[in-house]
Amino acid sequence: MKYRSNIFTITFITVIHALHCERLHNQIYSSIDGSAACFRRLNGTHQMGCSSSDNGSVGVVHMIKEISDAQWLISNSSAGPYVAVVSTSLFNNIIDLLIAEPNHVAGVLLYDNSTTRPTAFSHESKCPNEYSAGPGSTCSSQDSNVWNSKGTGLLRRDIPFPIFFVPDSKVDEIDKIEKCYNRYNLDKNNQIGKPLCSLQLSSFMYAAVNTAVCLRRSASSAFLTPTKVCDPLGDYNVYYSLFPRSQENNGEKKTVTLVTARIDSASMFDGVAPGAASSVVGMVTLIVTASTLAQMIPLADAKLYDHNILWTLFNGESFDYIGSQRTAYDISRGQWPPLSPLSLSDIKLHLEIGQLGGSLPLYKENSSWPLYAFAPYGSVLPTEITEFLAEMSQAVSSKNMSLEPVITTNLPPSSLHSFRRIFKNITDNASLPELLLVDHRETFTNMYYESALDLYENIDFVYRNISIGTDGKFIPTTELLANGNMTESDPQVKISRIASALAQTLYQQVTGKPYVGSIDEMLYCLLRSQGCRLLSAADYMSNTDDATVGKPAPLYVGVATWSSTPAVYAGHLLALLTGTHLDINRTACDALNVPGFSNYYLRGWNHSGVCVQTTMNFSQAVSPAFIKTDYDFTSNEFSTWTESVWQGMWVRVFVTAGGGGARLACITGAVATVLAALITYWLQANANIIFPALSTVPLVGDAAPAPILRSVNC
Amino acid sequence: MDLNKLPNDKKLELCRSYFIGGCFFLPFVWAVNVVWFFKEAFVKPAFDEQKQIKKYVLLSGLGAIVWIIILAAWVTAFQLNRVAWGAVGDSLSFIVPLGRA
Repeated sequence: MKYRSNIFTITFITVIHALHCERLHNQIYSSIDGSAACFRRLNGTHQMGCSSSDNGSVGVVHMIKEISDAQWLISNSSAGPYVAVVSTSLFNNIIDLLIAEPNHVAGVLLYDNSTTRPTAFSHESKCPNEYSAGPGSTCSSQDSNVWNSKGTGLLRRDIPFPIFFVPDSKVDEIDKIEKCYNRYNLDKNNQIGKPLCSLQLSSFMYAAVNTAVCLRRSASSAFLTPTKVCDPLGDYNVYYSLFPRSQENNGEKKTVTLVTARIDSASMFDGVAPGAASSVVGMVTLIVTASTLAQMIPLADAKLYDHNILWTLFNGESFDYIGSQRTAYDISRGQWPPLSPLSLSDIKLHLEIGQLGGSLPLYKENSSWPLYAFAPYGSVLPTEITEFLAEMSQAVSSKNMSLEPVITTNLPPSSLHSFRRIFKNITDNASLPELLLVDHRETFTNMYYESALDLYENIDFVYRNISIGTDGKFIPTTELLANGNMTESDPQVKISRIASALAQTLYQQVTGKPYVGSIDEMLYCLLRSQGCRLLSAADYMSNTDDATVGKPAPLYVGVATWSSTPAVYAGHLLALLTGTHLDINRTACDALNVPGFSNYYLRGWNHSGVCVQTTMNFSQAVSPAFIKTDYDFTSNEFSTWTESVWQGMWVRVFVTAGGGGARLACITGAVATVLAALITYWLQANANIIFPALSTVPLVGDAAPAPILRSVNC
Repeated sequence: MDLNKLPNDKKLELCRSYFIGGCFFLPFVWAVNVVWFFKEAFVKPAFDEQKQIKKYVLLSGLGAIVWIIILAAWVTAFQLNRVAWGAVGDSLSFIVPLGRA
């Protein structure tokens, strides 16, 4: 009975102990939530990005308010290594200092404060995708004449310590760290031996060296369970044709205008790729133009036209043009689109809607928005180009905007480079006319190209919440301008005018009137909240879980093994806005099989479900490097980007002990050991004196077991 | 097993079988043989089988040392050159380190 009560007591104490331990852990560490880590990417020759040590890098917090704080950290600090906590406004000034002298640096915690943003913030290189550029490109990172003049190239460097990014919405986490810093670390010159506020950054990357090595290691290790260390980057391209192409016979094949834009953007940090001006405005312009044309030309009239338009959104363009390289490569093998492949001679014009939106804040006072059309030719332009330019200039000038042709083979970064590389002979003799539409000339007007700060503010976007009824009808632009809901200087209006001019030019026969409301809503969906009405109407009826409300989807291309949301969103928006809405139920919709069309059962505007019949489809955006057997990863022919695998990413703040306690424990332990050794020696030497009686008793006897057993039981 | 309780002929038998066992690429068995029978071979007063035990102990010791030299040389060469050997280095590795070359 007594034993049982003892067991109860022990169990009780153990349980209490466990609870207490959990609380103790929480008392020591406080995790920093909502941060995003810089991770490692690899290409054919290098590794880039960041990695922490295996268990997370630990460093003393050092708030960097001025450049001198960073200089003190690398040259005069004593209690290192340190974690530099720095705002986006100072980051670019100090990061090179820290990378040059990484001995005292355990990591960097970068935070965004919307009140003090830098005027420029781009970690892409000065010539984005320089090594995948087509013939005629003269941009070189060493020159002064570069596209992304504010680019630091950090995205393409191997950084010797981890970096974490805390967005503006999580500014209270920085307050927490600063409070801790002010309490323990302020006495900068007397930090040794004191308890100090510290940060632990964990973002250990599995892959290393380059793509060839990490793919080899992912495939090998046959003895143990294979560990995948990296994945190829890739996702899906989206394409949609005005008229179904698979119904065409060979005899009456329609020529095609290829209109392209890009979906993806990038940044150094996981899950952070807003890309407002880097990609969203271009993508929205394409979708709106496509939907405008689709509304103006009924599908039934397809037979009246001998020309078709193929709209394509490329994915993974930030990383050596993954999507367009794959598409151009597939066209060259006669495999794209899979149904009725396109041949180069079918393409009458390739128009790329490039980077738009960067100059919108420059012209926010008035209704103008100068655009530039880059044509990669010498003095003689193909007739298709001259005709297009003339029509388009006329269409935009009637809207108080301008379009200036720039005739040069030095094209800004765009998917045209992939076509010009893969079809070098054809583009050289101008039998594939190409044109690129952007809103910059010598250098980017977007100061935040492919960065965490390329947010909706960067294109001066203010959501107007222009009502869409349950039927999905948008109010016409003219009405909104007339009743003062919108002004001519609004980015939404400007984008709608470009889309309208483009639609008008692409099909001179019809006059497109895109609804600015759809642009307002679409920009809101892609830049502010994926829980918006348009995306929720374009979602699968079967999808019941609500998207993360209040956050835009990151536009990073991601890895090929997981499909990410941006391509799906773009495809569904195209389907919803351009497709034929059929009034049939779900089973009938799924059963429907019309050649050249696919059917999607989407939620629709009133969430009751709608069957959309569309020519929209997805095609793989995985670099040819990963589908060709025996591809030489150092050949620089195709994109070779891979992304490292990681286990977890977390940050926590805690106070490290001054070291006095640890030293005391060590000394006490050493003294106790020596003392025990001495006593044991002495006891053994004098055993005969101390245990005179026991020495005669046999060790294994009847008397001995009882006490031994008892002690074991206890 | 207590060697002291073993008759001398059994000791020789045991020592020989350990030597033969070590011939099957088991240098550790040779090393054990040397340590185990060192006293019998070199310290104990002479007995009939001691000469032969001494021979086996010496041979085992020599074999173990040769093995140690070979293994040490290989381990050093491998550790220094694994990265430089590239694909060969990786395929010779049982566990490839994560996150570095």
